[in-house]
Amino acid sequence: MPVLLEHLWYANVRTDLQTVYIALFANVANAAAIRNRIVAAASLRGEEGERERNEINFAFLDARPITSRLHISTAIYQALVAADQGSLRTKTVHSEILWTLNPSNNISESIKRFGISSTSTSLLVVHVCSPVNAGGPAPAEVAQRLRFIIRGDMVDLDAGLERVTDWDLVKKYYKLQTDPVISALSAKPDRSNREKERELVNELVVSAVAMKCVMS
Amino acid sequence: MDRLLEGAQVIQQGAEARVYKVSLHANAAPILLKHRFAKQYRHPTLDASLTKARVAGEARALMKCLKSGVRVPGIRMVDVENGCLGLEWVEGMSVRKVLGSGEEGEELEEVGVGRVSVGEFGIGLEMLMVLIGESIAQMHLFDIIHGDLTTSNMMLRRVSKPQPGSPPAEIVLIDFGLSFMSTLVEDKAVDLYVLERAFASTHPDSEPMFAKVLDAYAKRSGKAWEGVKRRLEDVRLRGRKRSMVG
Repeated sequence: MPVLLEHLWYANVRTDLQTVYIALFANVANAAAIRNRIVAAASLRGEEGERERNEINFAFLDARPITSRLHISTAIYQALVAADQGSLRTKTVHSEILWTLNPSNNISESIKRFGISSTSTSLLVVHVCSPVNAGGPAPAEVAQRLRFIIRGDMVDLDAGLERVTDWDLVKKYYKLQTDPVISALSAKPDRSNREKERELVNELVVSAVAMKCVMS
Repeated sequence: MDRLLEGAQVIQQGAEARVYKVSLHANAAPILLKHRFAKQYRHPTLDASLTKARVAGEARALMKCLKSGVRVPGIRMVDVENGCLGLEWVEGMSVRKVLGSGEEGEELEEVGVGRVSVGEFGIGLEMLMVLIGESIAQMHLFDIIHGDLTTSNMMLRRVSKPQPGSPPAEIVLIDFGLSFMSTLVEDKAVDLYVLERAFASTHPDSEPMFAKVLDAYAKRSGKAWEGVKRRLEDVRLRGRKRSMVG
């Protein structure tokens, strides 16, 4: 069986941020339940709350507005840098990933757009933690935990994203519909132009995510 | 941050910054990292704010270019606290090296890198000049001034998926550290003048080559060319700096 859970290692940040797991799920059947669970966990008190929050300590993203591996990993890296320097704009490194993806500074908008919604069928899940040799969870353990939470199929990241990316949604969120270069390409939507347009949109959103901290 | 640069391959060392080839995570594709290091000769507070402003300025200029259809490296990471800008790794060769044969060419030639001719990119010298002129014109049409146009700041890269009827190589403009926005013909003319001087000082018989660059620039700029042309003639007479007398 191919390794579907992506396992990235970052040497240049704090130990508790050095390992990142990414998984893409297709045919997700229980998005509404997961979303309710996340919302409920936020207000649970005491030990039970701690346990539940720990259980679902992931970034749950809707995969439709994500264009590529580079797009999500750029957002992850910028969130790691912010966490490492103690300059998070949101509560956790996981929510910071959502915030970094959204071009505006509005936190609840970023959650609404890039976070899981009750109608999501494709989920991108990210977990930031310590490396295994520093007490972090092993890949098998992370995969197991995800299978308990999500009813769906774990699929290959690159091939899976290619199928689920909603390019019109991406253009809307990143305000690229009126962009002169993009609209020139989408005016004549033959195959080579469509490919070029997607390449360009991907480049624009990756760069926008990378430079968000100096945008305004 | 330090751990990222530790052991990374230094590509270039300048007075403002060092340029590295690094990977952000294990097995990641390499990116180009421009590190504006702390300057000991400046007050730390001033140094920090200047560095931040310059990293931000360069990133914004690149973004503007990307949106304007000017080929530049994409942005991969920004860390203003440490003065770092991560950019797409451009697999290609600087136009200066492609043209080679300049007087300073020998010292520029890296060890193990033989002379590469423009033909290896599937285009002729004339096409190379056309591509240069077109990319500068496109940039100026959107009021972006590069500020340091030289043949070293242009990369020639093979097109990943060549289309029939369009050239198999493209120009990627790099190093927007001195760039700014301006609608003035003066700034556009000076931008071209700086490149003209760079051509003249590094490549023999540059005049006919640069004329081709201007032809292509004129064609792409349309109406805007008249004003720039007239101003470029003035700038040639007086040099880059405007006279402050009177």
